[in-house]
Amino acid sequence: MTTLETLLRDKVLLLDGGMGTQIFARKPTVDDYGSAALEGCVDLLTERRPQWIREIHDSYFRAGADAVETNTFGANPLVLGDFGLSAKAYDLNVQAASIAQEVARSFDRPRFVIGSVGPGTKLITLGHVSYADLLASYRVQMDGLLDGGADAILIETCQDLGQIKVAVRAAREAMAARKRKLPIWVQATVETTGTLLVGSDIATVLTSVEPLGIDVLGLNCGTGPDEMHAHLQTLAESSPFRISCLPNAGLPENRDGQVVYPLPPEPFVQKVLHAASEFGLAIVGGCCGTTPDHIRALAPGVEKLNAPQRTPKLERSAASLYQSVTLKQEPAPLIVGERTNANGSKRFRDLLAAEDWDGMITLAKEQQREGAHLLDLCVAYVGRDEVRDADELLTRLVSQITLPLMIDSTEFPVIERALQRSPGKCVINSINFEDGESKARAILDLCKTYGAAVVALTIDERGMAKTREQKLEVAKRLYALAVFEYGLDPGDLIIDPLTFTLGSGDEEFRGSAIETLEALKLIKAELPGVMTILGVSNVSFGLNPASRHVLNALMLYHAVKYGLDMAIFNASKVIPVAKIDPEDRRMIEDLLFDRRSEGYDPLKTVLARFSDRKAAVLDDHRDDLPVLERLRRGILDGEKQAILADVDEALQDHDPLKLINEVLLGAMKEVGERFGAGEMQLPFVLESAEAMKAAIKRIEPHLPKELNYQKGRILLATVKGDVHDIGKNLVDIILSNNGFEVKNLGIKQPIETILKELAAWPAQAVGLSGLLVKSTVVMKENLHFMEEQGLRVPVILGGAALTREYVEGDCRRVYSGPVFYAEDAFEGLRQMQALVSGTAGAVVPAPSSVVAAAGEIKILKRGGAAVPLTASGQSSWVRHEVPSPEPPFWGVRELADAPVDLFEHLDAFALIRNRWGFAQGSQSDEAFAAVLRDKAVPQLVRWKERLASEPLLQPKARYGYFPVRAEGDALRVFDPADPRRPLALLSFPRQTAGRRLCLADFFRADQTDVLALQLVTLGQAAADHAAKLYREDGYADYFAFHGLATELTEAYAERVHARIRRELGLAAKDLPGRALFAQGYQGSRYSYGYPACPDLEGNGPLLDLLQGSEIGVHLSESHQMDPEYTTSALVAWHPQARYFSV
Amino acid sequence: MVKVHFLLEDLLVEAPEGTSLQRIADAAGADITFGCRTGSCGTCRVRITAGLQACSEPGPEERDFLQGLEAPADQRLACQVHIHGDVDIEYLGL
Repeated sequence: MTTLETLLRDKVLLLDGGMGTQIFARKPTVDDYGSAALEGCVDLLTERRPQWIREIHDSYFRAGADAVETNTFGANPLVLGDFGLSAKAYDLNVQAASIAQEVARSFDRPRFVIGSVGPGTKLITLGHVSYADLLASYRVQMDGLLDGGADAILIETCQDLGQIKVAVRAAREAMAARKRKLPIWVQATVETTGTLLVGSDIATVLTSVEPLGIDVLGLNCGTGPDEMHAHLQTLAESSPFRISCLPNAGLPENRDGQVVYPLPPEPFVQKVLHAASEFGLAIVGGCCGTTPDHIRALAPGVEKLNAPQRTPKLERSAASLYQSVTLKQEPAPLIVGERTNANGSKRFRDLLAAEDWDGMITLAKEQQREGAHLLDLCVAYVGRDEVRDADELLTRLVSQITLPLMIDSTEFPVIERALQRSPGKCVINSINFEDGESKARAILDLCKTYGAAVVALTIDERGMAKTREQKLEVAKRLYALAVFEYGLDPGDLIIDPLTFTLGSGDEEFRGSAIETLEALKLIKAELPGVMTILGVSNVSFGLNPASRHVLNALMLYHAVKYGLDMAIFNASKVIPVAKIDPEDRRMIEDLLFDRRSEGYDPLKTVLARFSDRKAAVLDDHRDDLPVLERLRRGILDGEKQAILADVDEALQDHDPLKLINEVLLGAMKEVGERFGAGEMQLPFVLESAEAMKAAIKRIEPHLPKELNYQKGRILLATVKGDVHDIGKNLVDIILSNNGFEVKNLGIKQPIETILKELAAWPAQAVGLSGLLVKSTVVMKENLHFMEEQGLRVPVILGGAALTREYVEGDCRRVYSGPVFYAEDAFEGLRQMQALVSGTAGAVVPAPSSVVAAAGEIKILKRGGAAVPLTASGQSSWVRHEVPSPEPPFWGVRELADAPVDLFEHLDAFALIRNRWGFAQGSQSDEAFAAVLRDKAVPQLVRWKERLASEPLLQPKARYGYFPVRAEGDALRVFDPADPRRPLALLSFPRQTAGRRLCLADFFRADQTDVLALQLVTLGQAAADHAAKLYREDGYADYFAFHGLATELTEAYAERVHARIRRELGLAAKDLPGRALFAQGYQGSRYSYGYPACPDLEGNGPLLDLLQGSEIGVHLSESHQMDPEYTTSALVAWHPQARYFSV
Repeated sequence: MVKVHFLLEDLLVEAPEGTSLQRIADAAGADITFGCRTGSCGTCRVRITAGLQACSEPGPEERDFLQGLEAPADQRLACQVHIHGDVDIEYLGL
């Protein structure tokens, strides 16, 4: 017998199209509904107009559908209650399913009936309805659908994660009561915003419903097929369930007051079939605006498709309402924030006692900022009602926190209530076998019902397991129960092998840390797939805070090496092991690994060493140090606050000039050396500079007026035609905080202005900066001009596009004065120091830059002639074999996105490694991983939160599609409204040899082609904020914000570009993961100023075509876009369109 | 001296040992496009089809970048490599 399952194994299943659309086409009257009060109760028409419903099902089956959905979208007591019809709910479902079955059976080939269950009108996550009421309401509907003969339950058009979980549970319970098991299908509705109505993205939905063991997870409604691609892609990669897709007939349009779905059958079919093969869909059909005609057109194509083969890969994760967080963090461990715990945090306990719910949420948010990945939540407080407290807090918390929750309670009712209140996938903390298995079983039932992971402690009837063997034995028993008997995924079982304090000196526990570490290793080896967790700080219980910090940090460090995946830890207290004093480390590790010997007890040594030390580990014995040493460290550690007191103290008996020259500048020199040796990251250097600035400001009033501590002067400018500020500003920061007087002229400075300033403010050197390739030419022209003026002042050149060879070769040749290349700000500093000390020319390049090898580069052979041009003057290397795509519209549209949306497309690698300058240098892999984990990543998280809450970015974009035709080296752009009317001619340079490429070649010369243009900006506010930070000497913040804003501008460009690829039907070529940032797609985007089209002049016509002024973007006289953090591009859809240089 | 063969345009170049591939490509006008030139954009990705052992070891940044792309071991970033022997270069940005 053919069942739904056998059919799905064989082919792609065709579902029906819209039901509502068909019903409303019959123009139901008050008469049809029965009374005016019942008007709009579509579910009631099953009873009052059964013939309509029969006809609609019949027409879909005749069109070729394998299955139809019952007319029960709102047929549950809660929705029907609005019409006073709650009592009819069961009967309406029975009738609707029976009618559909009756029609299905009138056909020869197997036809099926899918029981439709809609989202209802109340959102449980927002507290509109209680869990119990929603569950009861759905149960009635499920009972009716099953009794009426539905072949599967389809929980569809889901807008709320919480609702999905309740409806699935109702379906399961209704089936269990009948001892029948039918497939449960779930379809979410992802809005054009990219999330469900309540804010969850599809990955969050997947993580949250996956443990419920459903049969299908797909999408319906909300958008047309195109907008679903990214979400289908996510499901295709990760979902273990079959995928269904029932799009609307495009995005609704308002035509003369009527909502119209624009896609006719033909393009709808093309798009759906394309998605089916691209994403391995198992079930397709239509939603709003689709008709039997759509299904009829779809049938032949679907018939040809075989059942999809996919190999999805799902990472074990937890989820909040908004995001899915993988439990396997890179670098490990995942940090569980421990401060929202009434047992562990006094502050939280006090807030709970005062019922200060907002205060508790603030504490939760603090941990989120500090870098926690998960929040441990415990509201157990003697004398208070824990169930009520959990309810009150979670009702408020879940919509305000993006971190998934770890529900920490020993009370079953508390855990259950918390799970009902939390829409995503929680972790329960915890189970054990202390009193046998019954309690663990009850909690594992909860895991299955609500879809949760669980922490399991290695405790059994004998008590806490202390040896590695015992720990493993209990872990195996926990695994057998949870995984084999309850069917939990091993990755949802998180074993805690327990750790005991080393502070008691108790002989029994001396080796306990070793046992825990070894147990971690055994558990990971013998129980494949399980996760591990530790409450790390237990290891140091009873010791003083200073030694606790170090011991905890080292325990965490070693535990990760032994296989620890997750740690319950105060995220703000994570200290990098590299920052621990080596002597401290040796001692604490002796304690950790119980390395006692004759006459040596590491515990005693630790107690003695840390006895009078304060908790702030990083200060180590700061207060004991001489004041000058404290000053030095203040600079090295970038302590801009703490250093002021030390400055005041030092001024009492030290000469202010000497303080600057010998102590502070000496420390800055050390900073520069450490940076050069790759031991110190740029962001830390900037913090040091901020401390330096603060210290100098404090000292300056004490300096004799006529005395100048500064050693020399430099005039800095970014050259004409270049708006790039950051490199030059870094030089300003480093030089001015290393004893030089800097006059920073700003950007876009013509050489005439620079020389005029120089005449008025004589300096030892002029520093010229610029990022663009074109700026390297401008610099040479400037030198030429200076030569003509007879100047001999030394010039230092720096900038990304420069090379040492170019400066020391080409540039030196045109100018008789000294010309130096500075690879970074510190080489610039060394050049300046050499200049003022008269040793110029003796500066050795930084170790990281390789000195040019001796000898010339010579071309031995240039094979093959250049590629010939076609009759129309284009490179014959480009083949025009694929038809041009059809854009969804012609002309220009405007977008406004939320700052957080840009983070989806952020290239975090480029940001952290390049813009923020975190470089591994000479550090070990571990030490650098710690820097990334403890400094870079938290910095990114903090900025993301800030940008979500403060109006610093106002992203806006305009993009559009224009008809074009290639004419030789140019593109003729036509009016989208009147494709015969030319609007502009965009000319591009052509390669002189080889492929002889020109940007125009990617477009057809013989017929109209489509050119996409895009313009994105973060708005004036972003530029203003960067300027303000720089003005106020917030060096580190300025640098971080500038780098982030620059990458977010790129991210926004990619977001719009991704949209264009989607709209042109190219999105299927997108590669997953990081490859996307390296042109991992079809159709590149070209910006003026880059190798394929280096002339910025092109921005003029581009801005005109896109009407850039609508979003506040204007062109400067040097053809750069204003405000800063704006970028534009041309997008060529052609498969051979990749980056090239002319 | 080492010989570098750019396969796309059959361009053979001689350069002093230890010269950076970026400098050789720029000087010879090879058809390789560079983006950031600091090893974080991937525009200049090449395959070393012969002479991989004659290339300088990748530094941590290049290594991490290529790992992020799951690139095979014969792929490198032209802006980061120094050449110590004869190599054949295939540009991957096509």
